[in-house]
Amino acid sequence: MPRRVAIVAAGLTPTSSHRTDVTYPELVYEAVSAALEQAGLQASDIDAVAYGSMDPFDGVFAPERWNVEACAGAGAARRPLMKITTGGTTGGSTALAGYYHVASGLFDVVLAVASQRVGETLEAQLVLNTAVDPIYERWLGAGAITIAALQGVRHFWRYGTTEEDLALIAVKNYENARRNPNAHLMRMLTVKDALNTRLVSWPLRLSDCCPSSDGAVAVIFASEERARAIADRPAWVIGAGQITDNYWMGDRTWYEHWDSLSMLAHRVYRQAKIEDPLAELDVAELYNAFSIQEIIEYEALGFSDKGKGAELIRNGVTTMAGQLPVNPSGGVLCTNPIGASGLIRVAEAALQVMDKAGERQVPDVRKALAHAWGAVIGFHTLMVLSRGAP
Amino acid sequence: MTQEEEIIIIPGRWDLPFRHTAGRVASHFFHALKEKRILALRCPRCQRVLIPPRPFCERCFVTLDEWVEVGQQGTLEAFTVCYARFTGLPDPPYCLILVKPDGADTALNHLLGEVELRDVERMKEAVSIGMRLEAVWRDEREGGIQDIKYFRPLA
Amino acid sequence: MSARVAIVGIGQTALRASADDRLYHEHDYEAAKLALADAALDRGDVDTVICSGWDAVDGRTISDMHTVMSAGGYLKDSTHVGEDGIMAIAYAYMRIAAGLFDVALVTAHGHAESSFETVSNVVFDPLFVRSLGQSHLVSLALQANAYLQRHGVSGEQAAKVAVKNRGNGAANPRAHLQSPVDVDEVLTSALVCYPLRDLHCPPQSVGGVSLILASEDVARRITNRPVWLTGIHWAIDSYELGSKELSRLDSLAGAAERAYGMAGISDPLRDLDVAELHDITPFHELMAYEALGLAPEGAGARLVEEGVTGAGGDLPVNPSGGVLCTNPYGASGLLRAAEAALQLRGEAGERQVPGAARALAHGMSAPSGAAARTDCVLILEGG
Repeated sequence: MPRRVAIVAAGLTPTSSHRTDVTYPELVYEAVSAALEQAGLQASDIDAVAYGSMDPFDGVFAPERWNVEACAGAGAARRPLMKITTGGTTGGSTALAGYYHVASGLFDVVLAVASQRVGETLEAQLVLNTAVDPIYERWLGAGAITIAALQGVRHFWRYGTTEEDLALIAVKNYENARRNPNAHLMRMLTVKDALNTRLVSWPLRLSDCCPSSDGAVAVIFASEERARAIADRPAWVIGAGQITDNYWMGDRTWYEHWDSLSMLAHRVYRQAKIEDPLAELDVAELYNAFSIQEIIEYEALGFSDKGKGAELIRNGVTTMAGQLPVNPSGGVLCTNPIGASGLIRVAEAALQVMDKAGERQVPDVRKALAHAWGAVIGFHTLMVLSRGAP
Repeated sequence: MTQEEEIIIIPGRWDLPFRHTAGRVASHFFHALKEKRILALRCPRCQRVLIPPRPFCERCFVTLDEWVEVGQQGTLEAFTVCYARFTGLPDPPYCLILVKPDGADTALNHLLGEVELRDVERMKEAVSIGMRLEAVWRDEREGGIQDIKYFRPLA
Repeated sequence: MSARVAIVGIGQTALRASADDRLYHEHDYEAAKLALADAALDRGDVDTVICSGWDAVDGRTISDMHTVMSAGGYLKDSTHVGEDGIMAIAYAYMRIAAGLFDVALVTAHGHAESSFETVSNVVFDPLFVRSLGQSHLVSLALQANAYLQRHGVSGEQAAKVAVKNRGNGAANPRAHLQSPVDVDEVLTSALVCYPLRDLHCPPQSVGGVSLILASEDVARRITNRPVWLTGIHWAIDSYELGSKELSRLDSLAGAAERAYGMAGISDPLRDLDVAELHDITPFHELMAYEALGLAPEGAGARLVEEGVTGAGGDLPVNPSGGVLCTNPYGASGLLRAAEAALQLRGEAGERQVPGAARALAHGMSAPSGAAARTDCVLILEGG
């Protein structure tokens, strides 16, 4: 029987397009301090660190090196630290690493940290373009936006999803973000506003695209004994996993279906003993870097049948007042320090279970889902957190 | 530090030279493009005909060496038109596509040309998933993916 | 220590100066195939794949999009550490020890698509250090010089480590550099970054390394020569070079202490039969002896002079030739574990340490050289 592991604290930083007020180590220190404070712990109580970031965005290769003291504290020498980097899922993979550190029995209290300073890059899409294979594809100028746009075109074509549906998703997230003090974009947006924003890459408009953000996040995982001592209401990990599809985007032109996410959801729901996610989950934090993706995620995660994802937003099911609020934080659409965003989803889901989500708290959360995607939609991570231990 | 003190911004640039080998598989593909031939590899186990060609099938985990020539014509599987300008990326508007050449089981990333893109409504009329396309070659070919200039709609 | 995890498969491609006919991630593919063949397994038997490496070195953001599928991770619960491959072993160990996976495959590659040293400059912070021309090698040279000056170690003493390792490499058909050198050649080779001379520095090797790990029950079904991981720990050192004692490898000492504790080792010189450690330079091998508790601080050179760590000595160190002979940046640490495992299986060829039953494998994951270097120590036992 695997060791029980719970999240006992989460620390987030204010995010913006460029946190010029802090250096990288200072930004990380903010998140780590916030998590330690919430847990009532000192840096010396941490047994190991799992650190995630996507290097090229920050203009610092391997920023965890520069940031060692910020996360391991004075006396960093002799402390275990492991760097995880898996594209957009980095934050999710880092959470998984934190979980396995404790589940292995080697460590009892582990800090998962993720950071990204997209603001230090002059052009994020150019950096993303370097993810595209230089041999066959980089010359096309493909980046995250154009790839997400391909998904939009396919979903519209196959299922009749509309620009209005995308606008509804954007409006919901923007409204939620206004109650999240750590969100990047906190502004009013109506459907009409959304439909009038600039077209970036057909069919995606500016309001359908995530911002580029600076931010960091820290989450503390603990063994059962320590978790019960540290937190009143730990968020127990009852399901966790990741999946990797191949690189070649032309191998799966059915962009409107995220088959690998469905496969992962099947595995993780089984671990978590979830059969009807729409009914059994109380909140979900999904990696919606682009509005169309939130709709595709609903379908892949089994909240709706294939092609019917837009109905959930049209009927208000995934708004704060609905049956399954999705992204009370405003999601990635409103805040995107890329390598950190996956861990922010886990942090937000944990805060919901721990009843520490402030103004964006969903009442009576028992089970929460956190998701991240990365690569050419080839990577996915999922974590299910619960008020009750497994 | 007082309230008025300026925050210093230090410019940076990664000026890192690389020499990316195309390896023997992509190199063979590129040499064939010089001759206006589009090649792919068939997996002996799953029988998928794979383009762009790669050294092994990641599903069956076997090395690939059965070359097949695929068609100059193909079907449009997905597209987008980028209207925004991004530093270092092509000037807009450009239409990025996934086209499945006849005979292949996977699609190739490329561009769509000879189509009205600037006007969005006309673009939506002119470009649709399922359209038939054909490759247009550059006159001077050097052995790279851009030896194909773009794909255009079949007349 | 309750969890029992073993190495059940080993794969090493040829490791040499270049391999332009292969993409960098094809080395992961080839090494994975070799490891699977060694374990008589196929891709379907693997539960999780952990790859390793650095985007900036590979020249591709999200490089693991390629390495994971090349290592057999297609549609599996797979991931990637931004580290040398030795840390992929650490992560795989944890996944198996948690009882959640039974068979893990790890890979690492080294290639020549970039100069590791050039790329390493951008690990350093752009505020205080980068523009000064700091790099992996430059910081290691700083450290080597600190060690030299502090303990009065002579150039000749350090050169003897190079002679030992190059001599070992000459007898290892798997090594990249297979020619011996003598002290004079080392001391007269071109000065690269004082006090490091050309023959103090490792080559940049191209190829791949892969290991397969399994949980106890499964390991016994796969092989009758499992290599057990009885001790494991890792530690990172601080980033600020100006804030610590440069002549010591504190992160290595910390990792070794805990790994020894897990494995029940109290006197490493006596308890270990062979060691493969990350000799990024000969000076660092001497510092490693001290950090590993094999010699008192400053006295590492004696072990080489007295032949203790030579082939045939009480504790042969780097019988494979070490990093000095074969250095696929990003896979060199993983390679130490592979070589140590071969020793315990009795498959190390001419440099086999007779009856080797317990080995230490140490890998360094350090794109920033001496600053914030990560050391991972494994204690391995044949079974």
